[in-house]
Amino acid sequence: MSNIKKKILIVDDSELNRSLLADILSVDFDIIEAGDGDEAIRILHERELEISLMLLDIVMPKMDGFEVLAVMNRMGWIKTIPVIMISSETGSTYIDRAYDLGAVDYISRPFDERTVKHRVACNFMFSVRQKEMSELLSKQIYQHEKDKSLMIEILSHIVEFRNMESGLHVLHVNVITKALLNQLVKKTDKYNLNEKDINLIVNASALHDVGKITLPSEILNKPGKLTEEEYAIMKNHTVEGANMLTAIPFRKNEDLIKVGYQICRWHHERFDGRGYPDGLEADEIPISAQVVSIADVYDALTSERVYKRAYSQEEAVQMILNGECGKFNPILLECLVETAPKLKEELTVISLSGSVDNKINDTVKRILREGKTGASDRSIKLLERERQKFDFLSNISGEIVFEYSETPEEIKLSEWGASKLGLPVRLEDPKINSYWNNVFSKEDFNQFLNEIHNTSPENPVYTNRYLLHLNNQPKWSKVIARSMWSDEENPKFEGVIGKIVDVNDEVEAMEQLEHQAEHDGLTGLLNHAAAKRRIERILKERRKKYAFIVFDLDNFKYANDNYGHLFGDEVLKTVANRVKENIRVNDIAARMGGDEFIVFMEYKDTPLAQTDRIFKKLCRNYKDFPISVSMGVAITENFKGDYEELFHMADTAMYMTKQKSKRAYCFYDKNMKMVLRSADNLEDDDGGGKR
Amino acid sequence: MTVKECYEAFGGNYEDAFSRLRSDDRLLKFLNKATEDGSFKLLTDSLSSHNLEEAFRAVHTMKGICLNLSITSLGNSSQILTEALRNREQYGDDLIPLYENVKKDYEDFVLSVKKMQE
Repeated sequence: MSNIKKKILIVDDSELNRSLLADILSVDFDIIEAGDGDEAIRILHERELEISLMLLDIVMPKMDGFEVLAVMNRMGWIKTIPVIMISSETGSTYIDRAYDLGAVDYISRPFDERTVKHRVACNFMFSVRQKEMSELLSKQIYQHEKDKSLMIEILSHIVEFRNMESGLHVLHVNVITKALLNQLVKKTDKYNLNEKDINLIVNASALHDVGKITLPSEILNKPGKLTEEEYAIMKNHTVEGANMLTAIPFRKNEDLIKVGYQICRWHHERFDGRGYPDGLEADEIPISAQVVSIADVYDALTSERVYKRAYSQEEAVQMILNGECGKFNPILLECLVETAPKLKEELTVISLSGSVDNKINDTVKRILREGKTGASDRSIKLLERERQKFDFLSNISGEIVFEYSETPEEIKLSEWGASKLGLPVRLEDPKINSYWNNVFSKEDFNQFLNEIHNTSPENPVYTNRYLLHLNNQPKWSKVIARSMWSDEENPKFEGVIGKIVDVNDEVEAMEQLEHQAEHDGLTGLLNHAAAKRRIERILKERRKKYAFIVFDLDNFKYANDNYGHLFGDEVLKTVANRVKENIRVNDIAARMGGDEFIVFMEYKDTPLAQTDRIFKKLCRNYKDFPISVSMGVAITENFKGDYEELFHMADTAMYMTKQKSKRAYCFYDKNMKMVLRSADNLEDDDGGGKR
Repeated sequence: MTVKECYEAFGGNYEDAFSRLRSDDRLLKFLNKATEDGSFKLLTDSLSSHNLEEAFRAVHTMKGICLNLSITSLGNSSQILTEALRNREQYGDDLIPLYENVKKDYEDFVLSVKKMQE
């Protein structure tokens, strides 16, 4: 048993009595106290699973001890929480009534320490044992059922592989048979089928073609039409199958054998007596064989075979209704029509491993329900309730909930999540599953798995943002996941639960804001602060040679004054566009404010040609307005300073340009000498000219 | 004053209490608690307002506490009043002397415990 102290609920209206009991028991147990019956019930509602035992007084205000017991009976808590009554009432009517209501023990006042400790420990141990036994039992039932189903499936797959079929036929017939039977019992009780019978027929349906194992494979797999003689041999698989089952010694009375016999022998009989091998009519044919024959035909029609294409589900139903595959029981035809739409869905998601599990879970649930093994039944109910709550909450929260398990490797999605992603609820081998990889790219998913593997039981949560494809739309999504670990001393990684939240709008808004914060609203160029940050980053690396250009417009005030501010804005935009067009992707251009701009660009040998080209491209007319700029350039070759210094150098060079001539550019010289080149000396190719 | 002497003073059974609860410290702690318990006040108030159901529960609780701590005298008088109140619907003057007995024992008990503390 673990070291965590078990919890005991003490219900007594006298604080003194509660604390006396707490004083005695708190060494070995955690104590929860309730001052009256109402409070006790409220605590049970909230913490039912935590409480290992309860001490209950009888005479209390609001709700007395007997009423508490009655509620515990109604809620089923009395089966799992042992209740010891503590009272000064020693009359046998009180004691009897307490026992009748399910109390396990009765301690009368005055109590002594030894008695209280001893009885609590005894009853506690007893209830733990009972829970353990009950869990053990359900495990064994589960294993047993699993083995049984597995054997039947192996057996019937042998037949199918010999038959060169997919192996899914048995599973399909299984599912269809179950659906038809469930529908049948809703419509009539004529066949007197209970849940156990249905389960038996569904299990035995796997055996329907077992007789085919005796057929020569030339006949079994002959693609063309069979001769009359061959057909007679083929038909005989029904009798052979039935004989195989009766030939099993000592087991003739097993229900599975009996039902299996019916199904093997008569699943080719028809309602009008025109089937084989015995030509039985109507309800002379056992209902098990009738249902399996319809399931068999339906699946054969909707699957592809060597000799035929797969018909659609609607076509198949119509063909059966038309009697193209022989006559069937009318009530079963109704069942088929009613279940067909649901079947279509079920048959498409069916997988080999899943179906066994589903069936076993049903069986375990049923056995536990019938066997009245209180604790586990209740645990299952509780689990289901939790599951429902969880599903509901995850559905309304608009989140996709997923589970990843390592062995067998698969992803399970919440129903809502699956429909949101356009995927089935269950995906096998997610690392190489193309459906899953369409949503979660292989690279990202592997990265995610690596990270989550690196979490620990103490810090199991990992969160990251991925660009996922939700219903084929790329959407930024937040994946919040928690790793699950085994219960052992050295916990092993077992899987992950998590949720996927669509944060695309959030991310886009954030990017929009970031963009806004970094860019100049008018020209779309970077603003000075953003450009400065980027340039500083590049300067730190100092790997390449860069030129830093500062320029402003020579006659911008004139444009504003004479043509208006709107025109001035147009001029600025034009300049910005020309800058953008004439730099490379990795170069940086920014508007510093007003009519001042900067450009930061890489060069190989000399920056002269690039600078010259940009200068010329800028000095062209906009409409009739001649744009003219003055540039200062500083280069980072042999430069060791920071951004401010570089800026100062370029700014000085620009100032010098303005002093001398405007409409020109000039490089900052190390010795504070300016190498000045006048625009007038340049070949004038812009058609502009000075005003 | 020892715990044992205190028990003698209010008419309790020290040997019995000790054999069940097994330590003087525990007895001391819960005797103190018993003097702070509100049941006697509740009993007094309920009786004066003729709320018999509440009075029954209050004296029943006192009886339970007395049993557990072997406060014999007060336990006995509480027991008698408890039975007089069980399932009773009509207030009657016969309850007054029974209450007075409880009151006297209660006051003796509280006084003894206080003395022991000093």
